[in-house]
Amino acid sequence: MSRPLRLRRLAPHAARHAILLVGVVIFFGPFLWMLLTSFKSSSEALSFPPTFLPHAWRFDSYRRIFTVAPFGLYYLNSTIVTVLATFGQIVTSLAAGYAFARMRFRGRTVIFVVLLAALMVPFEVVFTPLVTLLSQLGWLNSYQGLIIPNVPSILGAFLFRQFFLSFPTEIEDASRIDGAGVWRRLWSVMAPMARPMIGSFAILSFVYNWNNFFFQFLVTTKSRYYTVQVGLAQLQGENNTTDFGLLMAGSTLAIIPVMIVFLVFQRQLVSAMSGGLR
Amino acid sequence: MSEEAVLPASRRMGRRAAAPMTVSQRREGSAGYLLIAPTTVLLVLFYLYPLAQTVYYSFTNWNPATGRSDALVGLSNYTHLVRDPEFLRASANTAIYVAVVVPCTLAVGLFFAALLATPFRGRAVYRALIFVPHIAPTVGTALVFSYLLSPLGGVVNYALSAVGVAPIGFLTTQPWALVSVIVFSIWQGVGYSMIIYSAALANIPPSYHEAARLDGAGPVRRFFSISFPLVAPTTGFLAITGVISSLQVFTQVYVLTGGGPLHSTQTLLYYVYEQGFVYFRGGSASAAAVLLLLCGIVVSVLQLRVLARRNTAELG
Repeated sequence: MSRPLRLRRLAPHAARHAILLVGVVIFFGPFLWMLLTSFKSSSEALSFPPTFLPHAWRFDSYRRIFTVAPFGLYYLNSTIVTVLATFGQIVTSLAAGYAFARMRFRGRTVIFVVLLAALMVPFEVVFTPLVTLLSQLGWLNSYQGLIIPNVPSILGAFLFRQFFLSFPTEIEDASRIDGAGVWRRLWSVMAPMARPMIGSFAILSFVYNWNNFFFQFLVTTKSRYYTVQVGLAQLQGENNTTDFGLLMAGSTLAIIPVMIVFLVFQRQLVSAMSGGLR
Repeated sequence: MSEEAVLPASRRMGRRAAAPMTVSQRREGSAGYLLIAPTTVLLVLFYLYPLAQTVYYSFTNWNPATGRSDALVGLSNYTHLVRDPEFLRASANTAIYVAVVVPCTLAVGLFFAALLATPFRGRAVYRALIFVPHIAPTVGTALVFSYLLSPLGGVVNYALSAVGVAPIGFLTTQPWALVSVIVFSIWQGVGYSMIIYSAALANIPPSYHEAARLDGAGPVRRFFSISFPLVAPTTGFLAITGVISSLQVFTQVYVLTGGGPLHSTQTLLYYVYEQGFVYFRGGSASAAAVLLLLCGIVVSVLQLRVLARRNTAELG
């Protein structure tokens, strides 16, 4: 093959990789920078010119973040809230989706359409009276306040309904003939078969609940109930944003759980995100 | 979009409803109510009831701190809003934000989706690394941006100084603060539009591109004459969801700039939050929230309509 021809073949590939590498630097670079900074001393984080790799790898920032703020407690709170809210979303959405897809009762379509319409109303529009309501219930600064309003998931009910609609009815009919009641059929027959859907939705729900800031920020005013996101935002306010070693360690800790979930369940997460919306 | 998925389902539902019920099915009807009860009751309590309250309070002088709303004040909350310079500023900021963030996020997302449309080595890695900002928590990533953009130790200002530009207070001076919030949001949103566009591009039959290639069309021409028109429904869907989520921007503003300097990055939701929980003007907060909701509904109805017209035009 002559040289110019080969070049003409390879040039588009090289150009594509070059553009994508620029993209990776822009979109992923900040995470790398965050991680490297979290191992620098606070003074090195402010040094000019900035260093790329830390002069000396230090874990100071990680040690300090657990002493300047009860970060361990924030982690525990985030874990409790995320796990329970995710669990609640799965159970209620599975039940509702199954009922909307497979059972017949008066008003089914009307209720479903009303729920779908409610999907149009963002939470952000209703938060002022909602917070007042939670305060009247005595639920501000409490786990139930952080968890229960997040349990109903219209998207979840919709996704499970779609799943059960596209599922063959034969197996369920067989178990019905065998005398299995609704509950038995739902939890012993249908739920196990919905496992892939449960998995995808669980990941979606986990990421959503872990990342949630605005709601948790409104419900908590005492550090006893802060989640990681709220605690981190407060830490920034208190430190006047100059202790970047500390803040980058905090950001790393806030981001890591989602990163792990993403690395392990990448395919399910992406298909849930795109599949649920098509 | 959801049309293909929703339509057959609802048709099936109608057909089933026409068949006569058996006794066991009728008995199961009450179980159906029980199964939908948790979702429905919680939604009514924590979503629809507060929504009704928001609408009602927008006509009163409600104070969220005392919980008191003594008087119906008619439309005065709304007339006060249109005269409040802070509200007008927040509206203008939100409009600028939406007008820049949505098209840029879509364009960049489609650009990367198109680059990654054909299989090659490393494709999955590229896609994953570009997608990551979308799922990382906003508080954490916004903090990282506040560091990158800082005049103290910030790498962006260092890079600029290398080409002789004096340090810029990206988050503390106008108009840079709004620019920074916008750039952050685009950075965060590209991964999502890329993923959705990737799925849409994968649905285009390869024979279309082959035919055009045989006719001598280059990659750019093929993109604009084949791919771009065929992903129009996806563009419409992403535009609607993009506008609606852009109307609710709060976290990045809170972390990056706190709404400043001089309200230059304050958005509508930030305004609602301040009115409600900083100044305790529940009436204005509710009125602004209602306007925010109306904006979202108007935008999605308009866009759905434009989209429907385009689809029928293509069919006819």
